[in-house]
Amino acid sequence: MSKYLYVYTLSLQNVLQRRASLLMDRVGGIATLLALYFFWSSIFKDSATVAGYPKAQMLTYVLMMSLLRSLVFTGRGWEVVGEISSGRLSNYLIRPIRYLGYCLSLDLAQKTVHCAAAVFEISILILVLGAPFHIPQSPQTWVLFPIIATFSTLLFFLLEFLVASLAFWTSESGGPLFCFDLLVQFLAGAFFPLDVLPRALQAALYMTPFPYLVFFPIDVYLERAPTEMALKVLATQGAWLVVVGMAAATVWRRGLRNYAAEGG
Amino acid sequence: MPAIEISDLTKEFRVPEKNPGLWNAAKSLLRRRFRAIPAVTGLNFSIQEGELVGFLGANGAGKTTTLKMLSGLLHPSSGTANVLGYTPWQRRTAFQKQFSLVMGHRTQLWWELPAQETFRLNQEIYEIPDAQYRATVEELVELLELRDCMSIPVKKLSLGQRMKAELAVSILHRPKLLLLDEPTLGLDVVMQKKIRQFILEYNRRYRATILLTSHNMDDVVELCPRVILIDHGRLLYDGSLRQVVERYAPHKVIRADFNEAVSPVELARIGRIAQYQGTRAVLEVPRGEVSPRAADLLTHFPVADLTIEETPIQEVVRRLFTQAPSKAAPRG
Repeated sequence: MSKYLYVYTLSLQNVLQRRASLLMDRVGGIATLLALYFFWSSIFKDSATVAGYPKAQMLTYVLMMSLLRSLVFTGRGWEVVGEISSGRLSNYLIRPIRYLGYCLSLDLAQKTVHCAAAVFEISILILVLGAPFHIPQSPQTWVLFPIIATFSTLLFFLLEFLVASLAFWTSESGGPLFCFDLLVQFLAGAFFPLDVLPRALQAALYMTPFPYLVFFPIDVYLERAPTEMALKVLATQGAWLVVVGMAAATVWRRGLRNYAAEGG
Repeated sequence: MPAIEISDLTKEFRVPEKNPGLWNAAKSLLRRRFRAIPAVTGLNFSIQEGELVGFLGANGAGKTTTLKMLSGLLHPSSGTANVLGYTPWQRRTAFQKQFSLVMGHRTQLWWELPAQETFRLNQEIYEIPDAQYRATVEELVELLELRDCMSIPVKKLSLGQRMKAELAVSILHRPKLLLLDEPTLGLDVVMQKKIRQFILEYNRRYRATILLTSHNMDDVVELCPRVILIDHGRLLYDGSLRQVVERYAPHKVIRADFNEAVSPVELARIGRIAQYQGTRAVLEVPRGEVSPRAADLLTHFPVADLTIEETPIQEVVRRLFTQAPSKAAPRG
């Protein structure tokens, strides 16, 4: 276990070392946040509720979305693809360390820094703009939401790992991950709450793991549904974790058999 | 028990086949055809514990592919390998803790951070006890003169410094088996020498088995009593380095200094002229006829000085790999 902890601290140093790249990432995130924030604010000028959301809830959705973006969507997919197709993966395969655990440690370091930054940004926004922000009332929410957010994080991590593993077969490699990145944020509800969509589309989406990444977790946070609903979200996330985890493990194992350890 | 034993090891790669041109590119989008390219074919050899063996071959001969199978990176298409008592591609932790693969053009050091951070990381990964870690680092830093490099970000190190750090970090766990792929690639002569001394020292001190590939013949001549030559994925020769010369060099070399300039036309009857500078010449003479030809030279030319030498190993191996493989003698 201590090896992964060490990878984590090393990676933390590395993230902080690359100040410019961190700053760029944050600026990009803030821009998206502000755009969505002002977009929804202006819509709420004319009406008190939109698609069943009062103003405070919708703006909280936007702010929490920004937090979850930093927590959930900072994957290592592109690095995994790069390491597979360039053959740098060999470096890990010959050492007594598990690549998945190694990646997760790296990713957690990234998430730590980004979440800290997101919390800071959101607090500023609430203070400066006087943004209305929903604070959960029920103690169940305070217990359940952190667990659900953790599950979201793991679920995205495994999903992205699964898609990135396809690089073992597609030698041009980036394709599947590119499509995934393009769609996942939209399907997860990282731009707007999914229940503004037509019912049929919603029903279809709820059959996939994506809404469990952002939409349902924020729904739980906003306490729009009863506690049973929160438990159901948690259970479904758990089921998806098992399914995606097994798929990722299988694909990875088969991929390794196919691995050409490219380069020199 | 041998440290490495492989039998009938074979690896084929499937590569997509594409004919030139846009039309064929479009066709290959729909139906891709694959061709099997043999990289290693029916390779057999065994290496005893503590041996230092040179693994030679032209580019694309299959050296790196073999090293990758021995380190468990690639599954062979067929055949078996037993490395330190394990099947490498099962990637057992106990196996991985006992060997190291160093590739001259690859780095495992964290680029942005000082080398010592990767050292510490490897301590964790290989679960090296603190006391042993400190002792090993101290020893390596001393031997490889790394003291000044340890706290500088790796990206700021020179290639030579980085290579030394690379070697050091790869043997922190004192592997019993070291697979080195071009360890002196791109290094200057002084640095090459240091790396070689170090490899030899490591081999002696820990009775480590070392298999090394290099295009630098000095590496091989100075380090490896035994060489394994492969060509087009097949074993060409496995035996002592000295015997490579006897077996594959059909000529000996006569160097002669003359008191006065001699005619190259007349010299040509002694042997093939490899170098000629008026009063000095280097001649290649068929192995079996060295004595009569040398006598002829001494009698009929104003010889001041004369030496008879073996063809340099570098030369022999270079010729071996520029020859068509069919011409090369069968394996010995």
